[in-house]
Amino acid sequence: MIPGKYRSVSGRAANNVNCGLHLVIQTSTLPEKNKTEFRFSRDTSPFPGRLLQHDLERNYSSRQGDHINLVSSSLPSFPILQRSSEEKSLYSDRLTLERQKLTVCPIIDGEEHLRLLNFQHNFITRIQNISNLQSLIFLDLYDNQIEEISGLSTLRSLRVLLLGKNRIKKISNLENLKNLDVLDLHGNQITKIENVNHLCDLRVLNLARNFLSHVDNLHGLDSLTELNLRHNQITFVRDVDNLPCLQRLFLSFNNISSFDSVSCLADSTSLSDITFDGNPLAQESWYKHTVLQNMTQLRQLDMKRVTEEERRVASVVAKKEEEKKRESQKQSLLKEKKRLTINNVARNWDLQQRVSNNAINADRKDCASPPRDSCQLDGSTTSSLPAETGSLDSGLTSALQGLSVTDTHLVEIEGDTLSLYGSGALECLDRNWSLQTAGMVTTISFTFIEFDEIVQVFPKLKIKFPNSLHLKFKETNLVMLQQFNALAQLRRVDQLTVDPQGNPVVNFTLWKYYVLFRLSHFSMQKINGTEVTQNDMIMAERLFGILAHVASSELPQYRMISILGDARRKQFRYLLETKGKKPGIASEENNDSKRVMGENTNRATLNYTTKEWHNEKLEEIKEKKKFCQMYVEDLVKEATDINMKNEALQKLWPQMFIELVRDAVIEIRNKNTYMKVCLQQITDQK
Amino acid sequence: MLSPERLALPDYEYLAQRHVLTYMEDAVCQLLENREDISQYGIARFFTEYFNSVCQGTHILFREFSFIQATPHNRASFLRAFWRCFRTVGKNGDLLTMREYHCLLQLLCPDFPLELTQKAARIVLMDDAMDCLMSFSDFLFAFQIQFYYSEFLDNVAVIYQDLLSGKNPNTVIVPTSSSGQHYQRPALGEAGMLEGVEASLFYQCLENLCDRHKYSCPPPALVKEILSNVQKLTFYGFLVALSKHHGINQALGALPDKGDLMHDPAMDEELDRLVVRSRLYRTPRQHRGKEPGVFGFQRRGKLEALERVPSALAPTPNLYRWEPRE
Repeated sequence: MIPGKYRSVSGRAANNVNCGLHLVIQTSTLPEKNKTEFRFSRDTSPFPGRLLQHDLERNYSSRQGDHINLVSSSLPSFPILQRSSEEKSLYSDRLTLERQKLTVCPIIDGEEHLRLLNFQHNFITRIQNISNLQSLIFLDLYDNQIEEISGLSTLRSLRVLLLGKNRIKKISNLENLKNLDVLDLHGNQITKIENVNHLCDLRVLNLARNFLSHVDNLHGLDSLTELNLRHNQITFVRDVDNLPCLQRLFLSFNNISSFDSVSCLADSTSLSDITFDGNPLAQESWYKHTVLQNMTQLRQLDMKRVTEEERRVASVVAKKEEEKKRESQKQSLLKEKKRLTINNVARNWDLQQRVSNNAINADRKDCASPPRDSCQLDGSTTSSLPAETGSLDSGLTSALQGLSVTDTHLVEIEGDTLSLYGSGALECLDRNWSLQTAGMVTTISFTFIEFDEIVQVFPKLKIKFPNSLHLKFKETNLVMLQQFNALAQLRRVDQLTVDPQGNPVVNFTLWKYYVLFRLSHFSMQKINGTEVTQNDMIMAERLFGILAHVASSELPQYRMISILGDARRKQFRYLLETKGKKPGIASEENNDSKRVMGENTNRATLNYTTKEWHNEKLEEIKEKKKFCQMYVEDLVKEATDINMKNEALQKLWPQMFIELVRDAVIEIRNKNTYMKVCLQQITDQK
Repeated sequence: MLSPERLALPDYEYLAQRHVLTYMEDAVCQLLENREDISQYGIARFFTEYFNSVCQGTHILFREFSFIQATPHNRASFLRAFWRCFRTVGKNGDLLTMREYHCLLQLLCPDFPLELTQKAARIVLMDDAMDCLMSFSDFLFAFQIQFYYSEFLDNVAVIYQDLLSGKNPNTVIVPTSSSGQHYQRPALGEAGMLEGVEASLFYQCLENLCDRHKYSCPPPALVKEILSNVQKLTFYGFLVALSKHHGINQALGALPDKGDLMHDPAMDEELDRLVVRSRLYRTPRQHRGKEPGVFGFQRRGKLEALERVPSALAPTPNLYRWEPRE
């Protein structure tokens, strides 16, 4: 007999014969050694001449088959097996009945010492007629049609039970097999792990290619070293940390999608080898380092040794993930705060608008009582977040920067956009901004702020954010075309967006043309998202060109100067009020305004003065007006007096003249007396 | 100049009639306000410029409403300035809302009150639909009447109200089908629409008004003309008739006739020049300064180019001088 090295590879992974337990049953070549040695090798020693089981069997079975006689028995369906005594003595402890086209287990007579029984590749549907083989250690029923585990209750010595590739639907009836060492149930229809908890000697459990959807109920398997669950539909794994000896766990080709569903693996200290390939989990970008991070005891992952480098990388990445998660949590918190604040600001704005509308209507109707809801204008309303003055974040250019979040206003820089909500936000322009941050800002967006208030901070804007090119206005109460004149103060505006919401000016037909006309020196490119065409510019000139002409050349010189002087003076007011007066800026202002004047003298007189300023100015002038009135009145009085006197004189003069002449004539009538009187007068004078 | 009527007036009345004092006061006030700037080039020159501008009608530009309203001459100048500046808008054919016209008015006078514009709009629209679009000429003529004769119109409204409610003993109230109510209505709206007053009676009252008050009224003869054409008329009907009447427009002297409203050849020339110049400046950024401009000459610096302009466009006063007529 050719001795056979007959290797049974438990865990029939189709592609992978390099793993798992190798069960080697070696038979001795010499008749003296008539016992079967069971050697269980655990390492994957590469055997060059290793043959797969079925190959051997093909050679083997054909021989054995010759010597087996299946005799039909008296019992209706069970054949009785008999072996020749020669066979019996040669292979007393093993019986191979593979590929015998058996549909039932035959009754095996007189083989009570059998230890190895091989029924591979048959068509057996039920395990029967082997209850008498109580010395059986190795039972192989691979590739049959067994639907239920049964008939094994007397086989108390059984150690290896191979039931792969059958039709078993449920694990059951294994209660007495307490010595079971290897249980192979791959390729069946098992849906749940059960009734294995008593198998405390079980070392290898193969449930590959079944219909398992989850893994639990594994307690009691205190010796389990290898658990093969490949090619199932497992979505989560539990209880594995209750397996004190588990070293290898194969979960390839299942349905695990997150590490949380296999989180118990992290608690298992014995695991050293695990596979997850073929799971959705393995497709994730964070797969490798998450696994490595959570299972630091692992030595092999997906059949590849885990290197120190990988572990290091994994921990680094995991730390980064942690940080990112914390960051994103912070961000989402900030976002929430922002949203609430904006809602708050919007509410305040609405109230304000309603109150002012009421006030206007009340004025018009000459209503005596002031509107009642003015008391609700208090800034702190129902927001639940505490007011907090944020601190400047440094360095983060691409991430969101929530800089100042309080209940009543919000300031935010996001890359190149500075957004201001609520009138309190305008104070942020007083802060010290890093040059880098300020330099990057090209868009400034104003929401829920009165335009008149925004106008007052334009000088500051020019200085603090010199690169701002795009202005956006929403809910800023732009109602007059005149207000756009204020934009001329800025250094440069490339784009202008005026949201129709809250800005009635957009309803006017001519507003865009007016903007283009007034700000022609900016050569604006876009208004509300639409490109400015040559035709638009020409139309703007056509519509308002005469206004510019009238405003420049027909205005008397002194008016021109006074208007321009006013404008400049307003701009300088800011500079004078700032604490750090830098002479450089002052001259820059001069240059700016000179340049502005040079750009389009004919438009420069079109300025915007807010109602407040206007009224202020009128107030100032009142005194002067009064004085002028009085002065002119005095002049008039004088003039009329003089006129009266003049007229009176005119009237009286002839008479007076006649009287004068008469008096003179009367005096000179008597020459002598006259001479005497004159002489007397002369002597008197001495 | 030395007509006997003028010399016959006592001093104050004479001054008041010509509003001399208003201008004097204003001039002195302006002087005080801008004394630093003006003192540089001399007070005499300032006064010359000031009164020149008063004659030309440019003194009201960008002034406060109280000044603009102060004298009829100011009002007429303002109307004329508005016409000249925004004639192009009308020519373009845009129909604008009352608010937009108000905006345009505010460009010239920052604190122009909304009520006046609203009243003017009511004349055009004849009802309270304040969001309707109006053409430039319609609005302008209605606005002229409303603004120039605003006190007169206020009084006319009162008279009309009185007539409607029958205060005048001579009134004959013609009962209409829809009414049957004789109680006084506070608002002018519906009553005026449905009923009306008898024209001749109305005219008598108006004549009294014109005689009594010295502020500007439309020439009574023309008013008579209007009222003689109809039997009855409503308040707004009367106003519309006023605004559309050529004679009154000419009597005012601020605006040209309706047919010529869009016509101003000198300004159009000016405008063309402006447009051409702006086109020159709109050359694309890449080509700025590199190639010769459209007209074949190198584009000079903006500053220089612009400085050329004022001299070329120095106003020729004689062309535009106009005398306000009484």
